[in-house]
Amino acid sequence: MNLNTDAEKKNTYDAIVVGTGISGGWAAKELTEKGLKTLVLERGRMVKHPDYPTATKDPWDLPYAGSPTREDLKQQAVQARTGYTVRQDTKHWFVNDLENPYTEIKRFDWMRGYHVGGRSIMWGRQSYRWSEMDFEANAKDGIAVDWPIRYKDLEPWYDYVESFVGVSGNKDGLAQLPDGKFLPPMELNCVEQDLKKKVADKFAGRTVTIGRTANATAPLGHSPQRGTCQYRNLCSRGCPYGGYFSSVSSTLPAAEKTGNMTLRPNSIVYEVIYDEQKGKATGVRVLDAESGEQVEFFARVIFLCASTFGSTFIMQNSVSNRFPNGFGNDSGELGCNIMDHHLSVGAAASVEGFEDQYYFGRRANGMYIPRYRNVGKDKRDYLRGFGYQGGASRQGWTNLVAELSLGADLKQTVSKPGAWTIGMGGFGEILPYHENRVFINKDKKDKYGLPTLTFDADLKDNEYKMRKDMASDAAEMLEAAGYKNVHTFDNKIGIGLGIHEMGTARMGKDPKTSVLNKYNQVHACKNVFVTDGSAMTSAACQNPSLTYMALTARAVDYAVSEMKKQNV
Amino acid sequence: MDRREALKRTAWLMGGVVSAPAIMGVLKGCAAKPSVDWKPAFLSNEQATLITQVSEIIIPKTDTPGAKEAGVPQFIDLMLKDVYTKDDQDRFTNGMKAFDDKAKETYGDPFVELDAEQQTEFVKQVHDDAIKAERGDNRPEKRPFILMAKELTMLGFFTSEPGATLVLQYEAVPGSYKGCIPVSEAGSGRTWAT
Repeated sequence: MNLNTDAEKKNTYDAIVVGTGISGGWAAKELTEKGLKTLVLERGRMVKHPDYPTATKDPWDLPYAGSPTREDLKQQAVQARTGYTVRQDTKHWFVNDLENPYTEIKRFDWMRGYHVGGRSIMWGRQSYRWSEMDFEANAKDGIAVDWPIRYKDLEPWYDYVESFVGVSGNKDGLAQLPDGKFLPPMELNCVEQDLKKKVADKFAGRTVTIGRTANATAPLGHSPQRGTCQYRNLCSRGCPYGGYFSSVSSTLPAAEKTGNMTLRPNSIVYEVIYDEQKGKATGVRVLDAESGEQVEFFARVIFLCASTFGSTFIMQNSVSNRFPNGFGNDSGELGCNIMDHHLSVGAAASVEGFEDQYYFGRRANGMYIPRYRNVGKDKRDYLRGFGYQGGASRQGWTNLVAELSLGADLKQTVSKPGAWTIGMGGFGEILPYHENRVFINKDKKDKYGLPTLTFDADLKDNEYKMRKDMASDAAEMLEAAGYKNVHTFDNKIGIGLGIHEMGTARMGKDPKTSVLNKYNQVHACKNVFVTDGSAMTSAACQNPSLTYMALTARAVDYAVSEMKKQNV
Repeated sequence: MDRREALKRTAWLMGGVVSAPAIMGVLKGCAAKPSVDWKPAFLSNEQATLITQVSEIIIPKTDTPGAKEAGVPQFIDLMLKDVYTKDDQDRFTNGMKAFDDKAKETYGDPFVELDAEQQTEFVKQVHDDAIKAERGDNRPEKRPFILMAKELTMLGFFTSEPGATLVLQYEAVPGSYKGCIPVSEAGSGRTWAT
């Protein structure tokens, strides 16, 4: 109970942030820069820029040419489902699945890493704004609940976070993909430029452009520890040049500079402490991952930024008389409405010609085709839409395995750049379905003795109809461009494979049908804010991290102004 | 000294002349068996020797290093041991045995005892047949030994330092990105290793 002991005082802060990923890093920066003494809790180990163990390894420095061993695949069987996460240079950033199990009623792919920085170290860095169309979608379609905000509410915050993050992009002038505060765009290569021209000629309303990526193509004066992108394309190892945005390279150093941050890694938050008499949360309960000790920390305001399922777990695990169904769960929507982007569908082709053309440097970015389906007058037999990410390149040695070339001739042939190929894969919006849900399983414990999560979610009719277009539209564009051997692909996936999971503590106008209000504040408990992907009311098709950052910065601004007014 | 010289001296020591055919027979018998000078972790010494020779035929030393100098045999051994599934390990070693049996059938001797010309000719034959089979109607579900060897050799070689830097080209820190330039302006104009 609350005895005013010295120990309690020592553990009391103005604010607590749970999680140090994309949203937690921003909460830490914003709260500390506004003068709040902030405890930042991370369940995983410490990581400090520029200590990235594999960052500068050359190909010959990695055992097995980087391939995962049988033992790696045993320990990280789920993390390996992407095909690219469990390699010798990145496997240490992803969880051991045997130590961090979960239950999947239908296939569910939960990809994560537990360390300071979270997935902001390994993320794909694609950074797109949502448009008005995205915020209005649920209301217009009569689906789920309406967003309690619109684009104009978030626009100044997109400006704000983009300027700090450093997003390289091109002003494309498209209503469905608002332009941002960009650093210079990266170049499309010769074949991508060819596709761009041909798509502009033959497909009204479709645009091929360069991706918008959180890589610095120009210096960021406000962050001296940030360098510029060196075009090594090894970002997911962590970048000692500070070439891309992560919590570790960007927001946490800013928070540290204020002197107001206490960063405590190896701190697994498993409960929000709710004081029923005061009608507010007073702190969090932490399990120390190293000592096994249970500690309580206290604060006036709490930001849950532990990732969608991380924060949802904490809330579901925080049961009290006031909240018998999980903290903040008056609506029954906590844990429901799991969304993601469905992917692994598109097309590829061979490209003849361009034999004398090549590129220098390894671009940490690809081409992007913004959503055009169900935009303007276009009407399909499904709701919402998808964008494409992809690129062109010249083949290397891998294609020569199946050729007759051998010996000295093989060495000669392989040293000349091979034929061009091009491909694109769609990122499709998944609708919010109440029954796509996650819940606590007390029968299965993790290595710390904490209950685990069970997932019950799958794609439905709208998504499968959309996938047909995602494959055939891509093929159609490649065919129209005159490319050869055009072939589609559409692979069986689990929700979660997009690694854009969201929706399980959604924002809404009505506390009866949502968990958070328009400022990411828990309807039922005003001093707790949730600003990671769990807050999302719909999924759009744009990569969501930039939106999480904007929501977080806006929520902190609101929280602090409310604190000043003594409302929180 | 070479073997003929050694044998002449032996004959002299033994006080007689050794006939030519006999010389050939004894030469073979006395020849030091080819072997590897490192301890394989998965393959037997004989298997490691065979794959060393096969991989060097696939990627030979020219004016740039070949598979052996680039450490490819050791790489193959480790890949089999730690990365390949049991089924794929078996496919490789059983396939290697079948390969060797076929060499014996064709030339009368195990593969590692054939001369360089015979080995190259045999590898090319087996390799070309496998490629044709892959392109044909009865394409095997899984690749045979010779193509597994080729895959591993190429993977090991083009991720090795000599392979990546001397046969292909590699820039550890490019520093800039130029998307659309002539091949002649893209570094040395060779294929990028990564």
